Amino acid sequence: MMRRRDWLFGFSTVSLFLGSGCRGHQYGHLLQPTDKNLVGSHEAGAEVFDPLVDEAVAKLLARQEEAWPECPVGPDGLPAKKSICFVCVENKMAEDIGDFKDQLYEQIDSRILESNAFQPISRRMIDAALVETRLRPDSLMVPDNMRLLSSVLQRDGAPVDYFLYAKLTSGTTKRNTSTQRDYLLTLEMVNLHNGSYDKQSSEIRKGYHKTAMGQAWNYNPFKR
Amino acid sequence: MTLRTGKSVHRFIASCMAIVACAAMLGCTTHAKRISLPRTHFYDGQLTECREQLEKIHKKHQQDRDVVNLDLAVVDLLDGQCQQAERRLKEVRDRFDHLEQTSLTEKTVSMWTDDSVRAYAGEDYEKILIRVFLALSNLMHDGIDAESYTLQIQDKQEAIAARLAPSGEGEANAAAFPGLPIGYFLRGMLREQTHQNYDDALKGYSQAAALLPECVPLQWDVARVQNGVHSQPGNGVVYVFAMVGRGPYKVEVSERPTSEALLIADRIVSAVGPYQLPPTIAPIKIPDVVVPASDVDAVHVSVGDQPVGSTVSIADLEQLAESTYRSQRNQIVARAVARRVIKKATVVAAKKSMGANNLTGLGMDLAGVAWEATESADTRCWGLLPRDIQVLRVEAPVGVHRLQLHPMFHQLYHPNPHTIDVRVDNGRNTYVLCWFPESRTPGRVLTSHPAR
Repeated sequence: MMRRRDWLFGFSTVSLFLGSGCRGHQYGHLLQPTDKNLVGSHEAGAEVFDPLVDEAVAKLLARQEEAWPECPVGPDGLPAKKSICFVCVENKMAEDIGDFKDQLYEQIDSRILESNAFQPISRRMIDAALVETRLRPDSLMVPDNMRLLSSVLQRDGAPVDYFLYAKLTSGTTKRNTSTQRDYLLTLEMVNLHNGSYDKQSSEIRKGYHKTAMGQAWNYNPFKR
Repeated sequence: MTLRTGKSVHRFIASCMAIVACAAMLGCTTHAKRISLPRTHFYDGQLTECREQLEKIHKKHQQDRDVVNLDLAVVDLLDGQCQQAERRLKEVRDRFDHLEQTSLTEKTVSMWTDDSVRAYAGEDYEKILIRVFLALSNLMHDGIDAESYTLQIQDKQEAIAARLAPSGEGEANAAAFPGLPIGYFLRGMLREQTHQNYDDALKGYSQAAALLPECVPLQWDVARVQNGVHSQPGNGVVYVFAMVGRGPYKVEVSERPTSEALLIADRIVSAVGPYQLPPTIAPIKIPDVVVPASDVDAVHVSVGDQPVGSTVSIADLEQLAESTYRSQRNQIVARAVARRVIKKATVVAAKKSMGANNLTGLGMDLAGVAWEATESADTRCWGLLPRDIQVLRVEAPVGVHRLQLHPMFHQLYHPNPHTIDVRVDNGRNTYVLCWFPESRTPGRVLTSHPAR
């Protein structure tokens, strides 16, 4: 009896100081195109950025294609698409976007390339021109700077018709332990020839909650 | 007092000796003792001998492998083998990530032996510094992955802050673990070099400046990315990263547990039965962080014969290691006390089950004391770190320049500067890494863009 109690004591003492758990392995799997994106628990991820890009670019290009239903033909008989210098993605959100920034640039650039109306200029050429001129992307709206960059690109064989900027912004609303964040992607296109500009935004709203019931409590049909 | 027969006394003595021998085998030499010779070689400037010794330990002591790999990575880096250093660092980074999960087996075994049987998962500051050194190693050869490493620094800092914050998230994170300024600085530095992402650069420099409000060059960086450009046309930038001083390492110290801790331990054991605890003789052995005094303050840099300035601190590892240790010290002591309770309980249970008389009981008590005394503190750590990582930014015209690096000892320049020829490219960064642990140690200097 005594011996059993000794062992029980020993076992319980050991257990007292030990947590549970064993080291496991890490696994990965491929997602199918139909699989839904993970929804980030603390900040925006693919579930926010992918639809933002899709919507904003599609609407902007559709409007531009409506303005020029038929693509002008160049002297060589090929369609003369308007050339776009996609300058940068600016992050003005409350969150870091980390490695998403370059991916957003590439996503938008690729969508523009697929359109019938526009031809984006290679990012590498834009980078080289910015290094050569030492112009900041946010200083390109100064007419002299705009002319300088476009002349360098033209010299390198890439004349510019438009400058395109993408800007991410966010607005945060807090209610006790729940937070709503509205993410806005704005594409702003400036015509170098006449100074006119076009703009397109898309928005996604997302809620963050510290309790599992936060969503049901704050977003239900009975809540005003 | 009952006298035992000669046979039973012999059996008992043999049992005691077996216990003591087992305990002695489990914990005897510490990592600190094993690493002392290679460390001496390192600070004598004998990198080859240091590497040989470290490789021997790496082969012989499995539990030391990760920390020895980290020390070897430093040796590789200073020896100019940057890719090899990066490979080692990546291996340890992945191991430490894996070891963040707990192992029940190791925890159990460590309660019967000591903490050195547990796989070493790295201190928080080491996990961040691995990524910092990965970025620096990468910048010293092709720089392709450096940006990824800076993002990983950020991720790791956020993960540590989230773990340490009492509430788990929110603003408390920043207070719980503010992060290392060098992580933010490297991010800002690399984003500025793109000539496009000045907003990211501003964020990085601002975060670094918030952690080091008295660092004037960081204020210049913030101002430059707010309104200026990376460099003037026809210029490039040289970043001199200086590793100065001897960094923190762990040693074993003996410490008597607090009376409160022992009282709790005694109560736990006594509450279970009418046991008498053996007298507490052996003090608890715990690791302590030591930072040797250093006589190198900074590095003064001249381009050609023109002095351009001195490096300034962006990562005070001494302070970081000490603060990390302080925050974990109570846990280490608590684990040691818990281990003592378990060992005492084992002795008591064994005495009871054997029906030990006075003589046998005394022998078992002595064996128990010996068992406790053979414990070793877990002194594993990244032992070849510098005390301080410093940086200086120098804008220079395109071309080849001769840099003179003067280590400053007690505010005095070293009479014989180290020189290195570097190539500066238009609108690009060139990196110089130098290491001056102390005045007697020959310095090491390497660059990402050597003059051809």
